[in-house]
Amino acid sequence: MANHSQFGFQDASSPIMEELMQFHDHALMVALAICSLVLYLLAHMLSEKLSSSTVNAQEIELVWTILPAMVLVMLALPSLRILYMMDEINEPDLTLKAIGHQWYWTYEYTDLKDLTFDSYMTPTADLPLGHFRLLEVDHRVIVPTNSTVRVIVTADDVLHSWAVPSLGVKTDAIPGRLNQTSFLTPRPGIYYGQCSEICGANHSFMPIVVEAVPLANFENWSSLSSS
Amino acid sequence: QSFKLLGFLDVKNVPCARDSVLYGSLGSLVMGLGHFLATSRVKRSCDVAVGGFICTMLGYWFYCRFDLAQQKIRQRMLKEGMKNRVLFEGSYLDPEKKQTGSERGDS
Repeated sequence: MANHSQFGFQDASSPIMEELMQFHDHALMVALAICSLVLYLLAHMLSEKLSSSTVNAQEIELVWTILPAMVLVMLALPSLRILYMMDEINEPDLTLKAIGHQWYWTYEYTDLKDLTFDSYMTPTADLPLGHFRLLEVDHRVIVPTNSTVRVIVTADDVLHSWAVPSLGVKTDAIPGRLNQTSFLTPRPGIYYGQCSEICGANHSFMPIVVEAVPLANFENWSSLSSS
Repeated sequence: QSFKLLGFLDVKNVPCARDSVLYGSLGSLVMGLGHFLATSRVKRSCDVAVGGFICTMLGYWFYCRFDLAQQKIRQRMLKEGMKNRVLFEGSYLDPEKKQTGSERGDS
């Protein structure tokens, strides 16, 4: 989860999120290079007299065409690589439906027998000591580790968005439409997210909590929950 | 703790960032000073210094990130190999067992 006044990303908990963070670092390095150049040009122009005697600007025009093209290539290639990586057809081990309502989520595990539950935010008054305000829920999404999980996201009433930053997942929940995303988490843990599309008065109070557990624990949980 | 260059690039926590900026500064100093010593032109030397900073910084950045990516792949392969060794040691899928079996067959 995010700490108060956190500005950067949360720690990555999926391979896609790691790739996204590396691309972000790369983009910032390119931005640093461009900012340095712009700052230098500003300082250079401030130290020159204001006069324009240019009649033929062939060289400068070549430079300011080629350089931006190179910058775009430096950014576009890694970006497209990650975009296609996110859209890879992988056989999911588990399919989970997330349905957004005002103002809670419903999760359906149709691979398992009739496992459906609602997930409401735990009110602050009922929060046990040490738990996170506005982030905890009564029923978490349990998923197995090292397994590709496909999430099909939709909504029942208005637009919502199912987002878990540390897994690198954000998918809009649109009424009448099924959107698909997938993730894989290599280690056990609890990952927090919040609804990311304005959906009414309690938009900030319908969090998402994904709990990744070893496969044996997941099987125990699913058999207990189904019965 | 983080140290953000120009307010956005965290050179302490981003791998390769600190080295890229330092090598870029060194390259800038060398190229700018060298150009000035060769030509005695101040403004053009400043231009060369800034160009050198950008090129050296980005050049080292690409090299370092490529190296880091290869290292991560090797780490993953090693981790997978160690896991497979523990899983398959002594079984019919053990590659070392297959090798010794083929050696016995040859002799």
